[in-house]
Amino acid sequence: MITIENLSKEFLQGQQSTEVLKGVNLNIKEGEFVAIMGPSGSGKSTLLQLLGGLDVPTNGTIQIDQKYLNGMTEKERTIFRRKKLGFVFQNYQLLSTLTVEENIAFPLHADGKLTNEKNRMIQELIESVGLDGLNRKRVNLLSGGQQQRVAIARALVNNPAVLLADEPTGNLDRAKAEEILSLFLKFHHENKQTIIMVTHDIFAAGFADRIVLFRDGVVDRVISRKDGDYAKYLASFMA
Amino acid sequence: MSVKYGILTLLFRQTHHGYELKLELDSLLGIKGKVNPGQIYTTLDRLIRDELVSSPGLDDQERKRYELNPKGKDELVGWLLEPIPNHGTKDDFFFKWNCARTIHFEQEKKMLEQQKAMIIEGVLELTKLKTELLLQNQEKRYLLISGMLFHLEADLNWINQVENRLR
Repeated sequence: MITIENLSKEFLQGQQSTEVLKGVNLNIKEGEFVAIMGPSGSGKSTLLQLLGGLDVPTNGTIQIDQKYLNGMTEKERTIFRRKKLGFVFQNYQLLSTLTVEENIAFPLHADGKLTNEKNRMIQELIESVGLDGLNRKRVNLLSGGQQQRVAIARALVNNPAVLLADEPTGNLDRAKAEEILSLFLKFHHENKQTIIMVTHDIFAAGFADRIVLFRDGVVDRVISRKDGDYAKYLASFMA
Repeated sequence: MSVKYGILTLLFRQTHHGYELKLELDSLLGIKGKVNPGQIYTTLDRLIRDELVSSPGLDDQERKRYELNPKGKDELVGWLLEPIPNHGTKDDFFFKWNCARTIHFEQEKKMLEQQKAMIIEGVLELTKLKTELLLQNQEKRYLLISGMLFHLEADLNWINQVENRLR
């Protein structure tokens, strides 16, 4: 479903170049829930940006659903992103002056007028993320947990094949984080969505099928519960 | 809480007579309370029988002194480096860590990391189970597992704090 080959990314700051990704190779199966963990600056968020087509790699390729992101024009990438990918960010990135339903409907405007069917889908999403009755409330009046629910509904409104989440529970306490992760799990289970979640939290990563550890711009190890020494490795990795 | 390992910890530092051991053990156990003197002497007899401890004789006030044998030292180090299973209570690990600090145990970092690995294994196993229960709508079992995870989180946070302060 997703094939990442020899992916690298360099950022230029004046004369100085920093290589954030240094040849990442990774395969993610359709319908898989993958957590990416690693220290700050290890390149995990950059990988997510490249996967989402929000930036382009310096070298290497990304294939999603048998399509190379590299070969696309900016416009093609935007359309691909809108149809195939959903994003959830740590700081929600909602339009603060709009209401819950306006935020969720936002990605649909690019495809033209809201039809009755689309409006019904928005209502269903609002219910499934547990925000019934808050349709017309402005999002800046909601709590952090509620805002993240709006962001998840917005990310899912196009029924994307892949959901990319960057520290989705980073700003939430344990109980609120649990609610958000339960929603991910529900959508992953019901819609077979592929989820790639960057997190620093082992309690969130535990929801995933696999944990990919990043260090210094490369995949350090892919953790599976079947490996006998995984816990020891994780303990020293997190030290 | 193990009187045996408490005694081995105290004798690791220096020789003691029985009454000193009682006072020091009370302090090592902290608020968990006092040890019955009878329990100390029975444990000392057993430790001597098993050659973990011996007595070099009496002190100037004719009190019997006790010292740690090399076998006793090995026994203590082995115990310190054995992580507490997740179904054990956190007090067991607090006591073990307290013993390690008391003897300035040079492998404290390894001991913490091993305990952390044990907790992480528990976290991932229980989270997997929790997600299955969540999908099966088994509310009661889901909440019970969640409760166990909250405890593990507190234990992990505490170990992280100790590790950070060791740096």
